[in-house]
Amino acid sequence: MTPAVLAAGLTLLAGAAAALALRTNRARAWAAVGSQAAATALVLSAAVPILLGAPPEAVQWSWPYPFETIRVHLDALGAFFLAWSLPMTLLGTVYAAGYLKPYFDAGRDGGPHFALLNVTALSFVMVYTVENALVFLLGWEIAAVAAWLLVIWDYKNQKIRFAGFNYLVSTHVGMFFLVAAFMVMHSQTGSFDFSAFSGFLRTPGALRNVTFVLLVTSFGLKSAFFPFHTWLPRAHSAAPAHVSALMSGVIHKAGLFALLRFLLLIGRPEEWMGWYLIAFSGLSALLGVLYTSSQRDLKRLLGYSSTENVGIAGVGFGLGVLGLCWGQPTLVLLGFTGGVLHLFNHALFKCLLFYAAGAVYLSTHSIDIERLGGLARRMPKTAGFFLVGGLAISGLPPLNGFVSELIIYAGLLVGAAHGGRARVLLVCAAGLLAFVGAVGALSMARAFGVTFLGRPRDPQVHPKTDAPAPLAAPMALHAAGVVLVGLWPPAGLAFVRETVALFIALAPPASGTLPDIGSLLVPVAAASWLLVGLVAALWALGRRARAAAAEHVTWGCGYTAPNARMQYTGASFSAQFTSIFEAVLPQLRREELPRGYFPPDGRLATHHVDAVETRMFQLLGDGEDLVERAVGRVPDEPRYSFAAGLAALAAIIGLILFANGTGP
Amino acid sequence: MTPAFLLAHLSVLLAAPILLVGVVNRTKAVWAGRRGVPLLQAAYDLRRLMGKRTVYSSVSTLFVPAAPAVALATALVSGLLVPLVGPRAPLSFPFDFVLFAYVWGLGRMALMLGALDTGSSFEGMGASREATYSALIEPALFVAAGTLAAAAGRGDFAGLLRFRPEDASTALVWGGCAVALFVNLQVESARIPVDDPATHLELTMIHEVMVLDHGGPDLAAIQYAAAVKMTVGAALLAALLDPVGPSAAPLAAAAARLALILAVGVAVGTVESLIARLKLRAVPEYAFLALVAAFVALLASTVRPGGLE
Repeated sequence: MTPAVLAAGLTLLAGAAAALALRTNRARAWAAVGSQAAATALVLSAAVPILLGAPPEAVQWSWPYPFETIRVHLDALGAFFLAWSLPMTLLGTVYAAGYLKPYFDAGRDGGPHFALLNVTALSFVMVYTVENALVFLLGWEIAAVAAWLLVIWDYKNQKIRFAGFNYLVSTHVGMFFLVAAFMVMHSQTGSFDFSAFSGFLRTPGALRNVTFVLLVTSFGLKSAFFPFHTWLPRAHSAAPAHVSALMSGVIHKAGLFALLRFLLLIGRPEEWMGWYLIAFSGLSALLGVLYTSSQRDLKRLLGYSSTENVGIAGVGFGLGVLGLCWGQPTLVLLGFTGGVLHLFNHALFKCLLFYAAGAVYLSTHSIDIERLGGLARRMPKTAGFFLVGGLAISGLPPLNGFVSELIIYAGLLVGAAHGGRARVLLVCAAGLLAFVGAVGALSMARAFGVTFLGRPRDPQVHPKTDAPAPLAAPMALHAAGVVLVGLWPPAGLAFVRETVALFIALAPPASGTLPDIGSLLVPVAAASWLLVGLVAALWALGRRARAAAAEHVTWGCGYTAPNARMQYTGASFSAQFTSIFEAVLPQLRREELPRGYFPPDGRLATHHVDAVETRMFQLLGDGEDLVERAVGRVPDEPRYSFAAGLAALAAIIGLILFANGTGP
Repeated sequence: MTPAFLLAHLSVLLAAPILLVGVVNRTKAVWAGRRGVPLLQAAYDLRRLMGKRTVYSSVSTLFVPAAPAVALATALVSGLLVPLVGPRAPLSFPFDFVLFAYVWGLGRMALMLGALDTGSSFEGMGASREATYSALIEPALFVAAGTLAAAAGRGDFAGLLRFRPEDASTALVWGGCAVALFVNLQVESARIPVDDPATHLELTMIHEVMVLDHGGPDLAAIQYAAAVKMTVGAALLAALLDPVGPSAAPLAAAAARLALILAVGVAVGTVESLIARLKLRAVPEYAFLALVAAFVALLASTVRPGGLE
């Protein structure tokens, strides 16, 4: 089966070459889509048996220095990630062909873009299968550079170039940490092979702790955990919709993959690692979701919600780690099942939401929710898809987000039985997740309600058509996945079972069998079906009343001349909420109030900025003077990103020196 | 689960809301020195609304007509997850309270989208408040339920609500969770001091303002759903406070539980009569009170060793 993976890699390369060589954009698109479809089929032929329980496969070559041995190892973890990453990239490429059509009609050459999409898929094949640090880094770097080049599709716009550059620098700051961790491990083992690393990672010690922190920092940057998320909202709002979707839903899941891979190598972690992951992830979930509540750029909002969702998945992983060191297989099962299923669910609904946002942009040329409104009438298909994604991302039943969140809650509450302090922390974490879920619902009600409901706010926005077929088809498939996992949770559980089994094997149950999560979810599925059935029955009951209904203008509470500009805006919807959390949601406010008896125009503009970005760059400066300049110049001054990189280097060196001084 | 139990549960779930609304209103009338409307007035109101014609806003799409169906369905499904007539609920499994909270969340989402669907700034304001306050009260419910689950060693709603105090620290757990559940009931079912279901001043309302453009059978469904939700919230508290042991005769236990649910209604009406509605700015602090109570209960629950098996 491993040859199938290699063949898939070569097919992707050939497709990329063809996309560059062919003459018309139609042919280039077909080359990319065709080669990716073939590669997907090849990879699935290898991955599906492993996900069904076949033993993992490995081949090994000896290469000259510095690679030494390169081991291609397809186990359940890699197979799981490949099994959805490649099909979703394929759907993204199909979407690209429709989304970029206006550019193609204007004569733009789409070859490099399609080739880069192929190369992105190739990087998944490398990162998810090769167990050699150097090849891993190579794949990691290919993914980063390809994502950067994909983001700056509209490179003539200075803002987009800056967003891309910001991403490039940030992702390489993460690379520093990764290289440092690999160097530590290489120096200790004299090898680049992951199985050799495992020998070092299995022995507790200060150097292992430092390596763990370096790895989590690097993977956290890759997956946009707080406070390493600052590149993300900007990059997501600048990139074409399918690139945002793939970055958020698929490409940056590589960070979580790597985290899981190294947790497997560590074997039996220490307790602080679990708490560290839970704290780090809980903070990401909380701050990510708080930022979603105030954004007016739809794609930026979705970008922040990635920080939230990787945080939720990370809480699950942290629980699993706690289960590993406490020797509680039930907790391992619940934590890793919840976390792994959530990251898959997130890929399903986040791509769906970005695709819907892209369809809105294609039709209206705006993703500023304050200028939109009433799109449900003009774009019913897109509105429906966005609604499905929005409900799922809010974790509401009967959709897939609820299933994975329920499993994570179950893990938190099972873990709460461990003891006094653990109980306080884990029950508080459950409360935190509940808050995150409710704020996520607020953000999605706001985003959907303001964009798609009510009346059009800006007469200058003219929605053209609903999503054309190349955009609608990927959305339909993603929505189908969202509904399937929601209404039939065993499908999702079966998909992640073998991956989770790898972790359970690290702390096998002493006696008896593990609880079956499926039996936990049967009543949930039954309740979901009951809910759907009741809604349908009540809807059918109201048919006659609806048929007899009259139509009238919206009740204006006695005011007879309301207009579309008087509708509740996104800013007003979240105003009270953001005022409660002002400390982390700073607001820039510019106002000119009307004065006198016959006032001329008054003005009010509010804008929510990223507190971390502004504050972090503030801290980097020395003294008030620099702070003042930095705040004003951060948006167009990349030097500070370099400064962040240098500071990271200094921190790494300090950590290693510290560990060598006190370590074994 | 016998058919008789299911029948009893369903009939209480469907009928008690009418009675509970009547009890709350009668309590308020007594405090105000009035005779008050008949106990079953809510049923007459619903019948009157059912006979009326619905009017839809010309701006609205599917969300205004769909909101009542989803709101009622979610309220009814949540009613199957809590014990109403005895120690058990018809639909009970570990961590069912997560489903409970998220099913309520879905009903809320439907009402908010229905409100935004009309393009009315007043209804948008109501939706915004609903989203804000529900986000603030949600952690309290989870911390309280999680604490009870850990303290009672049970993950299901019916089981964890059977937790009873044995000494000072468990009394604190029990009392803290009861306070959290009571505040949760007030916030979720739009009662004073958080929201005033009787006022018709749009600027001060939350729930009522979201349904300004609903009428006829749709409004009937929403009002009935709100009453069901209040009953379910009161039933949670009643199950936690119920002094009748699990070994009592089923009929007596059911009667006692129903009486206790109505007694919670009296408590709600009493608070409503004696306290003024809070300023909207102070509502977050009131919701925070529930979280603090739940947190105190959580800390108290760690005093004694014990937990889930």
